[in-house]
Amino acid sequence: MTAAVIQTRGLSKRYRRVSALSDCTITVPEARISALIGPNGAGKTTLLRLLAGLARPTAGEMAVLGGTPRQDPAFLAGIGFLAQEISLYKRFTAQTHIAIGAHLNHRWDAVSVRDRLRSLNIPLDRPAGSLSGGQRAQLALALTLAKRPRLLLLDEPVAALDPLARRNFLAQLAEAVAVGGLTVVLSSHLLADLERVADHLILLAASRVQLCGDIDAMLAEHQVLVGPRKPTTAIERTHTVVQAIRADRQTTLLIRGNAPVLDPAWESAEVGLEEMVLAYMSQESMGQDAAPANSHLTTVGEEK
Amino acid sequence: MTWLTWRQHRVQLYLAAALLAAFAVVIVISGRQITAQFHDAAATCAAGQGCRHLGGLFMGSHVVGFLVIATLGAPLLVGMFWGAPLLAAELDTGTIRFAWMQSVTRGRWLAIKVGWLMLAAAVWGGAISALVAWWYSPANNLAPEQFNPGRFDLAGIVPVAYALFAMALGITAGALLRRTLPAMAVTFAGFVAVRVAIVLWLRPHYTSAVTTTYNVIRGYTPPGSYWQLAQGVHGPGGKLVVVGDNEPVLGGIPLSQLPSSCARAGNTVPASCQQALAGFRGFITYQPADRYWAFQGIETGIFVLLAAILLTVTALVLLRRDV
Repeated sequence: MTAAVIQTRGLSKRYRRVSALSDCTITVPEARISALIGPNGAGKTTLLRLLAGLARPTAGEMAVLGGTPRQDPAFLAGIGFLAQEISLYKRFTAQTHIAIGAHLNHRWDAVSVRDRLRSLNIPLDRPAGSLSGGQRAQLALALTLAKRPRLLLLDEPVAALDPLARRNFLAQLAEAVAVGGLTVVLSSHLLADLERVADHLILLAASRVQLCGDIDAMLAEHQVLVGPRKPTTAIERTHTVVQAIRADRQTTLLIRGNAPVLDPAWESAEVGLEEMVLAYMSQESMGQDAAPANSHLTTVGEEK
Repeated sequence: MTWLTWRQHRVQLYLAAALLAAFAVVIVISGRQITAQFHDAAATCAAGQGCRHLGGLFMGSHVVGFLVIATLGAPLLVGMFWGAPLLAAELDTGTIRFAWMQSVTRGRWLAIKVGWLMLAAAVWGGAISALVAWWYSPANNLAPEQFNPGRFDLAGIVPVAYALFAMALGITAGALLRRTLPAMAVTFAGFVAVRVAIVLWLRPHYTSAVTTTYNVIRGYTPPGSYWQLAQGVHGPGGKLVVVGDNEPVLGGIPLSQLPSSCARAGNTVPASCQQALAGFRGFITYQPADRYWAFQGIETGIFVLLAAILLTVTALVLLRRDV
């Protein structure tokens, strides 16, 4: 197994009395594209900022690129972070931003930014403040990539892009990871997009980690059961019921566990990413009592 | 980083340079006029034809005189327009995140940015001080009064310290408030409050003042351009003599407290009046002229220290802040 680029244990962040992230334990192996998913306010942005070293945790430990995020040029050079709110100097042109990057980074690929912007018809000589939202996002992305980071942390990078630009961007991302030396964590609400490129998943809800691990392994561990309306105690003995929808005549269960279900009354089916993610998210929204029961659910797939 | 600092602040620098150049032109033209007028007046005076107007010449035109006094506020320009937005704008718009995700540490980023701007502030304060000192030189030659508040604050090395303090105050206010306009307001209020408080309550006590008592008939003036803190007359009982508005006086004493013979006193004081005056002692409390540079040094030290404390606070707060 390849070395972990990100490893956290019990990572927590509180802002005064509000908990933004609690007891977050995750592992992201090298050369993966990890999708960071969760409802609004789940702590996705907080986690990314902690990993980038822009904010400091109130508790817990983390190793990013082999060390604690710190103020060290070598560490900073390895991290590319793109915030959700694009922060560029409004009065400076793309050209000036490229020059700033060249002065502030030892490793800087100015050519790639210019090529990227030209291919997107984004003017290099107009102030960033006069560009459209999508153009600004593209510029910020290009600047983040120009550092040639080893770990790319992207907070909703595609939200401002049109569908075609989104697809192109994700394709380029996948290509860069395939070439090697790059690991990506990107948060997004667009599950369909993520499904296309991501092979790793971190699911946050209510400031806690619900799932973390390889997507394929995780999907293989879950199944959907459809059967008559009847008690589920037998299944609960061998599996964890993530979600149960009880209609008048039939019950639909999303269960977790590798053991086969032998009772012929239940019809088993494979589960899709979106279905699984939504099941965990809606479970969280049902109430606080669901949270403690899930604490053992972290790091699926990585355990073995 | 130096390049980025230059790129971000060059417009402000050009503007400041233009302002300074315009000020220099006004001061040089006015200064040359004053010098010429001074020489003419001195020649007239030497020829024995009226020396009365010498003292009135040295403010040049009223506009220029006002401009020179207005340079008391020059540190505020750098504090409010360079210092306050320096960090506030980056924090407010979030561009600090862009800056801090490049391969430069926060500490280096802050040190270089602040270092260059503090240097610019010092140059600004020093240049204005030098011009003002030059402009005042004919007046200083004739009647030095450099120790008086107003003059003391405009020349020497203190204007450099004021500019450094104003800049540091603006930077700190910006770092703490994270918004430019409130930071500018705090810089203005803070600078004025600290300057006034120090002039009124601290500066007179840098070294303990000298008090000299004197015979009211002969009077007494300390040598050189001393700074007078208090002057008055003690009566026979040791009580301070109080003079009402527009009251006729002799030697600082109201005529109503003296024998009637004093009212007729011209160049010679009648004996009965002299006898009465002997019961009064004049006093003057002042800082002697030769302490001028000691005071400049102490005041500069205080403001540089304040600036250093403010910048330390900024560094402690900013380098730990989550962004």
